[in-house]
Amino acid sequence: MQEKLSPFHVAILVYMIQSGIVMYRLPQMLAEHFGTNGWLAIIPMFLLASANILLIGAVYRLGNGVSILVILEQSIPRFILYPFYLIMSCVWAMIGCLISKHYVLIFQMVAFPTTNPMIFKIALDVLIFLLMTKSIYNISKATTVFFWMLMWMVLLLFFFYKDFHWSRLTPFIFQGSTLTIDGFFNVYSAFAGYSLCLFLFPYSDKKTKLIKAVLAGNLITAIVYIYFCFIAFGFYYYEQLKTLQFPLLNLLAYIQLPFVQATENLLYGFFMFSIIITAVMYFWSAKEISKRMFPISDRLLSAIILVAALGFSFIPDVISEVDQWLSYLGYAELALSLGLPLGLIVLLLIVRKRGAALNE
Amino acid sequence: MSKDRVTIGLLVLLIFLAGCGDQRILERTGFIQSTSYDLLPNGRVKFSISLPKADPEIKVSREFLTTVALSGKEARIKLARETNLMLVSGQLRTTLFGLSIARAGLWDHMDTLLRDPTISEQAKIVIVNGDAHELLQKNYKEYPRTGQYVDRLVEKEATGHTIPLTTLYSFTRDYHDDGIEPVAPIVKDAGQNIVVDGVALFHGSSYVDKIKADDSLIFAFLRGNFKHGEISVDLTKDTKESKTAMLSSLASKRKVDVRHETNGRTTVNMQVSVKVSVMEYVGKFRLSNDAQRHTLEQQISEIMTNRAARLIKFLQEKKIDSIGAGIYVRNSMSYRAWKKLNWYEEFPNVNLQCKVKVKIKDYGFLR
Amino acid sequence: MTNTDVQPQPSSSDNQVKPSLEHTLSEFQDCIDLIHRSYPELHIDLLFFGHQVDHDRLYQDIMNPLLSGETEAIPTILKQSRFIRVRDSKELIIGILSGKAAIFFLQDAFLVDVFGVNSRAISQSETETVITGPHDAFTEQAGTNLSLIRQRIKSSHLKVIKLSVGEITKTDVYVLYIKDIANMDYVNKAIERIKFIEVDALFDTNMLLQYIDDAPYSVFPQFLTSERPDAIGSKLIAGRIVGIVDGSPSAFSAPTSFFEYFSSSDDYYQRWMLGSASRLLRFIALIITLSFTALYVSITTYHYEMIPENLLLTLTESRSRVPFPPLYEALFMETTIELLREAGARLPTKIGQTIGIVGGIVIGQAAVQAGLTSNILIITVAASAIASFVTPAYVMSASIRLLRFGLILLAGIWGNFGLAAGVTAIVIHMSGLTSLGSSYLTPVAPLKLKDWKDVFIVAPFKFLTERPSQSRSPNKVKNKMKK
Repeated sequence: MQEKLSPFHVAILVYMIQSGIVMYRLPQMLAEHFGTNGWLAIIPMFLLASANILLIGAVYRLGNGVSILVILEQSIPRFILYPFYLIMSCVWAMIGCLISKHYVLIFQMVAFPTTNPMIFKIALDVLIFLLMTKSIYNISKATTVFFWMLMWMVLLLFFFYKDFHWSRLTPFIFQGSTLTIDGFFNVYSAFAGYSLCLFLFPYSDKKTKLIKAVLAGNLITAIVYIYFCFIAFGFYYYEQLKTLQFPLLNLLAYIQLPFVQATENLLYGFFMFSIIITAVMYFWSAKEISKRMFPISDRLLSAIILVAALGFSFIPDVISEVDQWLSYLGYAELALSLGLPLGLIVLLLIVRKRGAALNE
Repeated sequence: MSKDRVTIGLLVLLIFLAGCGDQRILERTGFIQSTSYDLLPNGRVKFSISLPKADPEIKVSREFLTTVALSGKEARIKLARETNLMLVSGQLRTTLFGLSIARAGLWDHMDTLLRDPTISEQAKIVIVNGDAHELLQKNYKEYPRTGQYVDRLVEKEATGHTIPLTTLYSFTRDYHDDGIEPVAPIVKDAGQNIVVDGVALFHGSSYVDKIKADDSLIFAFLRGNFKHGEISVDLTKDTKESKTAMLSSLASKRKVDVRHETNGRTTVNMQVSVKVSVMEYVGKFRLSNDAQRHTLEQQISEIMTNRAARLIKFLQEKKIDSIGAGIYVRNSMSYRAWKKLNWYEEFPNVNLQCKVKVKIKDYGFLR
Repeated sequence: MTNTDVQPQPSSSDNQVKPSLEHTLSEFQDCIDLIHRSYPELHIDLLFFGHQVDHDRLYQDIMNPLLSGETEAIPTILKQSRFIRVRDSKELIIGILSGKAAIFFLQDAFLVDVFGVNSRAISQSETETVITGPHDAFTEQAGTNLSLIRQRIKSSHLKVIKLSVGEITKTDVYVLYIKDIANMDYVNKAIERIKFIEVDALFDTNMLLQYIDDAPYSVFPQFLTSERPDAIGSKLIAGRIVGIVDGSPSAFSAPTSFFEYFSSSDDYYQRWMLGSASRLLRFIALIITLSFTALYVSITTYHYEMIPENLLLTLTESRSRVPFPPLYEALFMETTIELLREAGARLPTKIGQTIGIVGGIVIGQAAVQAGLTSNILIITVAASAIASFVTPAYVMSASIRLLRFGLILLAGIWGNFGLAAGVTAIVIHMSGLTSLGSSYLTPVAPLKLKDWKDVFIVAPFKFLTERPSQSRSPNKVKNKMKK
C-alpha cells in the first residue's frame, strides 16, 4: 500500500530539510553581511524562496503531478539526460554528505578534540543508511518525531528575555557592513532545500496539497529563523555577533539550569535529528535520480551512494574547507532549484503545444 | 530483514573503533575553577589557577598552581607538568585580573577565554585592587576556599546590585557595543577577609578608574533598571529633621530622553524613579503622616540627585560612558551621523542630567 | 464395525474415515486417562477423558437418560440436540481431546459436550494491578475469558471467531471484534496471519504474537497484551481487535501504537486530572529510564562541563575511589539491578521481597563502601530502574530496559554524540515499525492531534468523543453527549 504524504508531513519535512547547519551561523552571517538588524533580511529571503516554490508549483500543476523524472525522460533523449542526472545526484549526495561532516566537525571541536571525526561520520552514515532505505512515508514519520524532539527548544529562547535589550537592536537597518552577492547567497542558503520537493510529486496526491504544504514549511523555517535571530541581535550587539563562529552554540551555552550547565553539549546532540533528516533527504533525492539510471536494488544503490559520498568526504577535513565546499555546492543547488523548474516549465509548455498540434 | 543485521554488525564494528583519547573521567580531571592574571614588570604574565580537591584522602580543599608565561594557554601547558590531574577549563567560574593587567587592557587575555569552546560565557570577571595572584593564593580561614569565596561574594553582592555582575558575556557585549563601556566588580584583600571595593570602570578593555562601593548603588541607578537593593542615606548634613534612613527593596526604573539642541549640543535627560521601603529611620518625621513622608521623599530624592550628578561629572571627567548614555544618543541619530561622531570625545560635552525620584512604598511596622 | 479400514495413522491419508470404536481405541492406546465404559446389552460404548469432563453433567446428560431406558428408546434420545452425530473419525478424536464424551451406538458415533475442568478461579492480576476499578483478571481458560468479556459487552455485534493453532497442541485461538466498529481489514489480516502459522505447539499469547507480528526482529512488542478484561473490553470499543489464546491468561489487542503501552485502564477510573498527571508521569519515567544512567556515564566520562558547580565536588568525591571507568561501573550496577529483578521474579513473593531489600540496601551500601561504585550512580540506577517499572505494560518496560543498555554503551563510547545517535536510531527504527500494517507511532507520526487528548493526557470525558484514528473505525463517534 503506497501511502501518500499528508500536508503536515510535507511542511515539517521541508522545515527539517531547510534548518540545518546554516542555522548555527545564521546570526553571524546576517551581522556580517547585513549589519544592524540583519534579522530583517530573512523576510525578503523568505519571499524569494516562496517565489521559487511557486515556480515549482507551476511545474506541479502543468505536469499534473507527474514525477519530474518521467517528464524529462519523455521528451529528452537518455544520452543527454544521464550526464545531467549524474551531476544532479552528485551535487545532492555531496551536500548531504558534507552537511553531516560539518556537523561532526563542530561536535568534535566542542567535545572530542582528538577523536577522528570520520568515526562519527561513519556512525552518522549508518543512521542515514538506515533511514534512507525506508520509504519516503516512513522518513516523514521519523521526521515528525524528530520535529517534536527539536521544536521544544524554541521555548529555550525564553532564557534570553532577561538580557534582551531593545536598545541593543538599534534603529538602524542594514548599516555597518557591505552586502556582497556572495554574502547574500551565503545567507540565502539557509533556505535551500525546498527544491527537493520536486521529487515528492509522485508521493503526493490532491489531499497532500503539496505546494501549500511546502510554502507552509518554508514559513515555519522563516518564523523560527526570525525569532531566533531577533533574540540573537537583541542579546548580542551586532558587532559582537560578527566575531562569533557559531552564535547558536554560544546562545545554548548561556543557558544554565540548576541541574545541568553547559547545555550546548547536550542540546547540540539534539540537532543531530535535523541534520539526519537534511542529509537523508539529499541522499534520498540522489537515490531517486540514480534509480533511473541504474535499476538495481534500493539498498544496494543507497549503500553505493553513501560509500561514494563517504569517500569524497575524506577530502575536505577541516571546518573551513567544508564550509568552502558547501558554499560552492550551495550555488549549484540554488542554480538547480531555479533552473530545474524553469526548464521543466518550458519543456511542459512545448510538450503541450506539440500535443495540441497533434490533436488538430 | 538482513538490513538490520548488517547495521548491527556495522555498529558493533564502530564501537571497537572508538577513540578514548578524549575521555575526561571526573576523578582524573583537575577543574580550574578560578584563575588569576597579573602583569609582571617585564611584560610577562603571572598566571595562577585554583583547583578544588575532592579526594577524601587529601586533606586540603584545593590545589593552587602558579607560573609565569606569555599567555593563558601556554601557562596551562606549563602548569600541567606540576599536577597529576588533567587540567581542564570547562568548569571555570571566576577570572581574577590584577590591577596591573587591567590597566594594560584585558582584551588579549579575553581571547583565550572566549575562544575555548568549553569555557562558559557565564564565567565571572573580577578585578582585584592589588595583586590577584596574592589574593587567590591566600587562604581565608573563616571562609570557603578562596576561589569559591570570591565567586559567592561577588554573586551575592550583585543580587543586591551594589556591584554589577560581570560575566564574560556581559563584558564582551559591552566591549563591542559602541554606546557603552564595560564595568566589572573590584575586590581587595582586607587581611582576614575579602571586601568589595566598588565598580571598576573600563575604556575599551583597559581599566581607568573605579567607583567607591558607597556610590555603586547610585551608579546602578544610572546604568539600568533593577529590583532589589539597599542603600543607607545620611541625612544629617542636608536636613534638620532627620539623621539617617535605610532604604531597602529598591526597585529602580530608568527613563532616558535624548534631545539634540539647535546649537549642536546634545542633552540627555535621565529620569530615575525608585520605589523603596524604609527599614530604618532616625529623625523627627512621622512616616504615617502623608505630608511629612512626602517631605522626606523629596529630601532623599534631592540627595540622591546630587550624588548622581557628582557621579556623572566624575564619569564625564574620565571620559567613560559606563552608564550607556551613548546607546540612547546613538539610537536617536542617523547611522552616518553617529559614525561621524567620536563618542569618546563627545561624552564629556554632553549635557547629561539626572533626576532621581524616590517614592516610599511602605515603612515597616512603625507608624 | 469392521477392522479392515483401521489404519495405524488414520489422520494422515484418508480424510473421511468412518468413526469406529476400535479405531478410536487404538488411536488412544496407552492413554490410561481415557475412560471406556461399555454397555453391551444396550450397544453403547462411552469414551471420554476422566479429568476433562464434568462428572455431574456426564451423569445428568448421558448416563441417566441413556442407561435408564430401553434400547428402543435410545435412538429417540440421541436425536436430542446435545448429541451431535459425527461422521469423521478425526473430528471425533479432536472432540474427545477437547473434553467431549463420545458415544458409540451401533454404527453411529456421537459427541456430547460435558467439558468441565477445574481451572484456577478468577483472581486479581499479578502483573497489572490497579488501585481503583475492576480487579478481576483473565484465567488460563479461554471460555472463562470469553465470558468475562461477554459480561462486559452485552452486544450481539461482538463477534468471536475460533481458530486453531498448533499441529500437536491444537490450541484454540479466538479473535474478537465488534462488528461495524472494528475495521474489517485488520480483522481479516489478523485471521490470515494466525491461519498461516504452522508450528507444533503454542502455549501463550506472547508466543503467538511473535509468530504474527510485523517486524520479528524488533525489540518492541507490536501487540498490546493485557490480563484485564476491562482493558481488553475498552480496546474492543475503541475499534481494535482482540485475541484470546486458550491456556494463556493474557489477551492481545491490535493495532497498537508505542504510546498505548503507557496508558493504564485506571487512568479512566480517576478524575481526568489525576489520570492525565499519571500519564505524563509515565512519559517522564520513560525518558528517565532511557537516559539517566546513560547521561551519568556520558557526563562523567566526557562532558564534565555539564555538571553544576554544587554537584561537581560531590560527584568527583564519590567517583574518586572507584577503580573502573564510569562505563564499566554503570554496566556493573545495571546488571546487578537486573539480576535482582530476575531473581525477585523467579522466587516466591515473600522471598522475592527479601531479595529486593537485601539487594537494594545491602548490596548498594556495600558497593559504595567497598569503593566499587559511586553513590550518585546508585541513585541514578535505582531511579531509572524504578522509572522503568512505572510503565504499565510489562513487555514494554522490559524492552525499554534492554534498550537502556544500548544507550549506556553508546554514551560510554561517544558521550552525548552516542546518546543522540542512539536516540536517533531508536526513532528511525520505530518509524519503520507497523502494527497490523498501521503506524507504530500514531498519533505522533502520522500526526493526529485529535488523538493526543486521549494518549498523552486524559481529557475530560465529554471531549473524548471519537475512537482512536489508528483503528480506522467505520463508526467514529463513541460519545454522543453534548459538550
